[in-house]
Amino acid sequence: MKLTVNGEPHEHQGSGNVDNLLNELGANQAHTALMINGSVVPSDAWKTTALHENDEVEMLVFVGGG
Amino acid sequence: MMNNILKVGDQELGSRLFLGTGKFSSTQAMIEAVKASGTELVTVALRRFNRNQAEDDLYGPLSELKNVRLMPNTSGAMNTKEAVRAAMLGRELSKSPFIKLEIHPNPHHLLPDAIETYEAAIELVKQGFLVLPYIPADPVLAKRLEDVGCAAVMPLGAAIGTGKGLSTANMIKIIIRDANVPVVVDAGLRAPSEAACAMEMGCDAVLVNSAIAAADNPAAMGAAFKTGVEAGRMAYNAGLMPTSEVAVPSSPLTSFLSTND
Repeated sequence: MKLTVNGEPHEHQGSGNVDNLLNELGANQAHTALMINGSVVPSDAWKTTALHENDEVEMLVFVGGG
Repeated sequence: MMNNILKVGDQELGSRLFLGTGKFSSTQAMIEAVKASGTELVTVALRRFNRNQAEDDLYGPLSELKNVRLMPNTSGAMNTKEAVRAAMLGRELSKSPFIKLEIHPNPHHLLPDAIETYEAAIELVKQGFLVLPYIPADPVLAKRLEDVGCAAVMPLGAAIGTGKGLSTANMIKIIIRDANVPVVVDAGLRAPSEAACAMEMGCDAVLVNSAIAAADNPAAMGAAFKTGVEAGRMAYNAGLMPTSEVAVPSSPLTSFLSTND
């Protein structure tokens, strides 16, 4: 499945849900916030949220900032 | 100590020093500065996940600190829509109601966009956030933001990262006089004396990042700012003496030394 993840093309090999994508990319789930096509997807919905071809996924973490 | 607890919305904070976590040379240096400063509220930014830069992820190190709450910022947002989105994402991770609302589209001066900030504040208050907006030192805007439900206002002392101190002091005094929510000086401070000065003026807290992160010894500077903020607050509570245009002696001036010979 072709996705755009953080602005880059990504070929998703897994089952097509968010939980699976995060594992595929090696993200620490507890440290990650996620948005699909501009909408925030809360972590408790990741297991049940299906991805679709050409979805734009943003995965964010906390970094230093003032 | 009198009035030492700061209430922001329904949240109570034991320290009036808020810390930014950017620009530190290492995560370890940042953590040490946070501890030394005694802060209970630190700001963090959001950035795209990059598995090759896992060491930049501050969630782990910060969540180990006891008594420190996270206040995500909306840095990078160019408008209301982006700021609201950033806030929603930040809350997913912070599990805290605090949001530092900042919209500064011009990278040359990083000055806040008052109009977008105002619109975003309205939306974020509706969404249940404790909104702390970074704003120009504009008393009218500060009041308008209070009126729409912001939990505090954060006027700038000088542009972000410039270290030019309380260049907006006169406007901040007006904001303080009129405000019914906490006033936090955010940005521009360089020295603990400036933080003390802000607190003596009646600011409720200060937010410091660059001054500590860019110090030769960030932990020591964090401790210095802690002392500066506490001294300023104590002085404010103690009540500063009035000023006078003419000298007022502190010693008796009776002329017992003069003789008539």
